[in-house]
Amino acid sequence: MVHRYLTYGLYGAMAAVLIGIGLFSGRFMLYMTMKVMILAIFAMGYNLLLGRTGLLSFGHAAFYAAGAYGLGLVSLHLSSHPLLGIFAGLAAAFVMALVIGFFCVRHTEIYFAMLTLAFGMMVFSLIWNLRSITGGDDGLVGIMRAPLDLGFFSIPLRKANHYYFFVLFFFLLSIFLIHRIRQSSFGLILAGIHENDRRIEFAGISLRNYRLAAFVISGVFAGLAGTLGTLLESNTAPFSAHWSYSAQPVLVSLIGGIHTFAGPMVGGLIFIVLREIIERFTHNWMLWFGIILLVIIMGFRGGVVGALSGFAKQKKTASTEI
Amino acid sequence: MSLPLLEIQRLNKSFGRVVAAHDIDLIFEPGVLTSIIGPNGAGKSTLINLLSGSIHPDSGSIFFEGQDITRLPIHRRVKMGLCRSFQVVNVFPELTVFDNARIPLLALRKRAHGLFRPVGGEKDVHREVLEVLERVGLPAEAGTTASALSHGDKRLLEVGIALAAGPKLLFLDEPTAGMNPVERSKILENIRSLSREGKTTFVIVEHDMDIVFSLSERVIVLHHGVVIGDGTTEEIRNSPRVREVYLGEEVPS
Repeated sequence: MVHRYLTYGLYGAMAAVLIGIGLFSGRFMLYMTMKVMILAIFAMGYNLLLGRTGLLSFGHAAFYAAGAYGLGLVSLHLSSHPLLGIFAGLAAAFVMALVIGFFCVRHTEIYFAMLTLAFGMMVFSLIWNLRSITGGDDGLVGIMRAPLDLGFFSIPLRKANHYYFFVLFFFLLSIFLIHRIRQSSFGLILAGIHENDRRIEFAGISLRNYRLAAFVISGVFAGLAGTLGTLLESNTAPFSAHWSYSAQPVLVSLIGGIHTFAGPMVGGLIFIVLREIIERFTHNWMLWFGIILLVIIMGFRGGVVGALSGFAKQKKTASTEI
Repeated sequence: MSLPLLEIQRLNKSFGRVVAAHDIDLIFEPGVLTSIIGPNGAGKSTLINLLSGSIHPDSGSIFFEGQDITRLPIHRRVKMGLCRSFQVVNVFPELTVFDNARIPLLALRKRAHGLFRPVGGEKDVHREVLEVLERVGLPAEAGTTASALSHGDKRLLEVGIALAAGPKLLFLDEPTAGMNPVERSKILENIRSLSREGKTTFVIVEHDMDIVFSLSERVIVLHHGVVIGDGTTEEIRNSPRVREVYLGEEVPS
């Protein structure tokens, strides 16, 4: 019970800090915080698949890119309304996740991982080669952050401190939605799949359909991250579809803890901040980053959040024993 | 005339050169508590796996209430009312006992799709879960994590999960394996009274002859994938063929 209030308190504090950053920070801080929130959305959605069903996908960059290019294309050719662009991006990610997932969820473990990797590489090479549509290695450039027109009034998004609250809104919305999903019937079934996927079918559950649903949901959140990232940078990067980019949500989830709800958020923060700091000191940032990641992943069993909450529980039982 | 619950026609399955099922023809009528016995390697587990859908037969057909289910996936059979429990404990270890029984009930009541509604809001399912736990004798353990249960209670939960799927026909694979005598009599009493309720027809795979003969109305004997005996407990006891291959050592004449 105390634990629950503590959790709510922490989330309240987080929201307050994020709003404070939005009101009082400079452009760099705003930019970094938005990057953290976008990566956290990506990873939280991803972890619904990895943490809850145990399926390890190496192809989620494809859905991030589907969101990015869906928004980019609509924004450049149809309408620059941000909500319409986001909707198009989500729809693109949804369709792509449904098609790719249909083939992938028939398999598990290494076969699943390799299939998602293969599909991800196909999407990347399509984006790379369809120059006339996707802009090839240049990506789509010049995507405007048009005002958010809600009919009776419109909110400008062009400035970083305005767009920041737009991202914050979707970040908090994602937390809420993913929390609800985890507490729902569907979430319980996913937990059952994670616990014992052999038994779940004998409970009258179609394992394949539920895996596919989790895959598509995580793909749509990846797409959301893609749309927000594209609006942030004003262009799409073809390398956001590259398979190396698919490793990001995996690492972020692992750093934070795949069996925790807050893990991907904390992991996203650590990932972005660490990378930024290391990049300032050395060109070999990947080497140092890799070493630090190794230490975190090996040193904190169950991720940073998992290890900390385990530590807190231990301390509690120890104090009651005294 | 009403259709039989389950009908098996000329079912065959072999693994390499080992024949696990050879031209098995069987009919299960509703309400008849049946046992399947046979020495190790007789094909009992294979038969259950074939009927519940874990493996597919080489040839032959399976009909459930007149419908051909030979190639149907597991979860579809469960939804039709054909379910099984397992010989080894096969529960959801890190979920509570309550959630263990809740998963099949959500599927049964078609409430398993809710994406944003809290699962605690399904009041009907909540009540039914408690009923199931009551029936298998685990109401006090509802909040316990399944992995923390005693072995006997895990076996009860195993049966509870199977029952929660609302089966018309339920195969219990050695439900008393590894239980102490107290737990054993508890679960047998449970099976007896559940069978008398008439909602579910039980088919039990067992090693223990005392259990088989005290519990069942019908006994089927398998040997090398062939049905060598099928009848009431009296008939099986007196069948020379069965005594020759199986009971010879155990029941002196």
